Amino acid sequence: MALAAITVVLVPLFVLARTVWVEGGADLVEILTSAGLVTAVRNTFVLAVAVTVLAVPLGTLIALALRRPDLPGRSFWRVAVLLPVLVPDFVLGYSWLRAYGRAGFTDDVFGLHWLGVQGALGVTVVVTVNAVPLVYLITAVGLAARAEPAMERAARVSGAGVLTVLRTITLPLIRPATATAAVLVFVLTLGTFAIPQVMGSPAGFTTISTRIYSNLARSSDPLAFVEAVTLALLLVVIAVIVVAPADALLGPRLRVRRVASTDPSSASGGRTASRWTVLAGIAGYCLLAVGLPLLALLATAVTKAVGLPPTPPNWTLDNFTLIITSRSAEALTRSLGLAACAASILVLLGGLVAALERRRSGRSVATLVTLTLVLPGSTLALGMIIAYGRWIGGTLTIILLAYIAKLWAVAHRPISGALDRLPPDELHASRISGAGPLTTIRTVVLRPLAPALLAAWLVCFLTALHEVTMSSLLYGPGSETLAVVVLNSAELGQVGATSALSVVITLVLLVPALAFWFVIRRLNRAPNHGTAVTSTDRAPELAHAG
Amino acid sequence: MPADPLEIRGLTVAYGEVTALAEVDLNVAPGEVLALLGPSGSGKSTLLHTVAGFHPPRAGEVWLNGRCVSCATSSVPPERRELAMVFQNYALWPHLTALDTVSYPARRRGEKRAHARAQAQRILERLNIGHLAERHPAELSGGEQQRVGLARALAREASLYLFDEPTAHLDTHVRGVFLEELVTRQRDTGAAAVYAAHDAEESLGLADRVALLAAGRVIQVGTPQQVYDEPVSQLAAQLTGPSSVLTTTDGGELLVRPEWARLGGDRSARIGDVFFRGPHSDYLLDTTQGRVLLREPGPPRQRRGDEVTWSLRHSWPLRVRPGSGSDAEQRCRTGVKVPVVDDPHVPHGVGT
Repeated sequence: MALAAITVVLVPLFVLARTVWVEGGADLVEILTSAGLVTAVRNTFVLAVAVTVLAVPLGTLIALALRRPDLPGRSFWRVAVLLPVLVPDFVLGYSWLRAYGRAGFTDDVFGLHWLGVQGALGVTVVVTVNAVPLVYLITAVGLAARAEPAMERAARVSGAGVLTVLRTITLPLIRPATATAAVLVFVLTLGTFAIPQVMGSPAGFTTISTRIYSNLARSSDPLAFVEAVTLALLLVVIAVIVVAPADALLGPRLRVRRVASTDPSSASGGRTASRWTVLAGIAGYCLLAVGLPLLALLATAVTKAVGLPPTPPNWTLDNFTLIITSRSAEALTRSLGLAACAASILVLLGGLVAALERRRSGRSVATLVTLTLVLPGSTLALGMIIAYGRWIGGTLTIILLAYIAKLWAVAHRPISGALDRLPPDELHASRISGAGPLTTIRTVVLRPLAPALLAAWLVCFLTALHEVTMSSLLYGPGSETLAVVVLNSAELGQVGATSALSVVITLVLLVPALAFWFVIRRLNRAPNHGTAVTSTDRAPELAHAG
Repeated sequence: MPADPLEIRGLTVAYGEVTALAEVDLNVAPGEVLALLGPSGSGKSTLLHTVAGFHPPRAGEVWLNGRCVSCATSSVPPERRELAMVFQNYALWPHLTALDTVSYPARRRGEKRAHARAQAQRILERLNIGHLAERHPAELSGGEQQRVGLARALAREASLYLFDEPTAHLDTHVRGVFLEELVTRQRDTGAAAVYAAHDAEESLGLADRVALLAAGRVIQVGTPQQVYDEPVSQLAAQLTGPSSVLTTTDGGELLVRPEWARLGGDRSARIGDVFFRGPHSDYLLDTTQGRVLLREPGPPRQRRGDEVTWSLRHSWPLRVRPGSGSDAEQRCRTGVKVPVVDDPHVPHGVGT
């Protein structure tokens, strides 16, 4: 286990540092002070700060709003706000261009377009939209775990109004969750590649990730390569500088121990008049941020040419027939196989680490795995190229290896969380009833763990299908993934084909995602009738655990 | 005449399709402690939560001190109902120390921080937990947590206290101490209180009046002695303490509390089981009229299987004849004529 972690994480990092040291040498100062590099670093940092500042309050607000039991269509909106998770980020970025940019949907229909959508402002907004579901998920879990209705009721009965309760009780209670969300959003934004590449690069807005990508494209220039490696290391350094103090400060509080119920609901609804305002806010956000862009994307995909209004007379399927080539079909098969393979390996590894974590000796591996969460994809990919490129460069193996390194933590977290929630007495009861360790796992552990295992598999599968940051750096002839095909197509300016491809990849994601989602829901529902009772029984423990 | 601290009229509460409370009428007089006694799921918590304003009723009214806080047209939010509440799960805020928790209500009244804290410290001292002021809930035991919960309620300085099974999660020995504390402090304030519990001994001991709740309906209201000695039904009898039911020769049913029967006398029975309970022993007798639980002071004097004699000192008619009405008055009246009663000089319904 430790060996696997070292192979995919530590070795690539080590060779990066060595490369900068050996090859950079005398030129290092020159590289570090070059205007292009300084701009990229500044842009990246400002982007990460801006997105964190925007996404955290927005996501928290949505989580609070969706807690109201009286909100009309609450279960629908809960899924709707998570939609950006299912849409690959480059598709989201591209669809925003198609919706609000020049010759986009609003331009064609209303004559309105927004120049800033291509450039720094557009990138900031779309990365924020992409990050909001993450913040929402983390704070919603925080709300469910820590802000029990009784806490807020006690405050209300003590004389605090709705807003005072929010200020003095609810928000302080979920502060660990919001802090976690802020750190994660910041780090993930540092490493974000697809949206800046699709929306920013055409307007000359560069970030560290996009600069690494363009530097590698000019692979003949040795100085550009060293600069890329330096940037990759800088990315890690910035991430660590931010995460290390946050982790030390928040420490154990970052780990939410036990979730009483994943269905947060507030103590008592506010006035009935305001719920329509809340509903309008959420609906408007979903429509403008995700709904309209995706519609615009679909409209572009079925319209004959750019600039024509997306009305039925101009509809055609030409764009789709155009992209049905052996190349894209192969890429699709490759992507699906790669993602399924990575997800299966990751669930296995994640489960092993989660189990090991419960023993003292396994802790360091778990910590290392969590660290991969903050490791930017560009850095990891570059490290992989230098460390293993000689033997497996440009093959599917190196891409698979990179996926495993990047997504290990993603698989580990839900499984570890589910193990945490498994009451030890249930295991003891099985053992005392005569079951051996393996029988215990098979009969009493696997079933309650099944939703988490499936969820971990699904998240890994989807993320691997989305993945473009590492794939675009690592692919070679014959190992292009579908996401890379879409990205290349976008860069070539093939509007119709890119839109059609984006629609296809989104649908490819949507189908398994929805299927799995239903299975996980059903699995969760069946035994949860029992847990509903136990969760109230555990409430006092929760109060202790706080 | 001053208005009652609490008056509930025709209160009906539903969670979706499920009716949790049906047409409940109750009132609490100034300084009175009303116990809500019922099995879990009978609607005790729902009643308290509706009074506090956490849950809107489907029908009915809630009046606090002559002010309608929940009517068809208007509803006062919880923070302006001026109630104090002690929660079953303590409901302590994990991010606040005991002192900050207890000064919270005063702060919400707009008092200065220093003043609120000084006040809170005094309350904590009174409850003998002054030394725990700087601790967070996670660093307190269950009993200490619930004392902080009680202190927070006291700090509210309300005229009505709601206790939602405050001892449900406490160990037996802590429960007794806490309960004593709670009753003393509540009496000190002179405020009225509604105390929800499922433990009969606890609620009979502390209440001025008891309301028996079953399946969302109030089945009986009376003094603790009334509900114990004269339950309106077998369910009411079971809620208020141990009891057994004898079938009379004419098909009626008689309620017998364990201490209403004695060993020795003119009736014969076989000992079905014996339980040593410390200060007394319980005997389960198999008689021709059914099983009777009988209580005698001291350790067991008989063994299982022994043939013994026993006598009934007192009983309460639940039902005279199958099919005859359920009117309590009729039961009282006809009960006297029931032939199995040994001592006709002891009037029915009077305590032993």
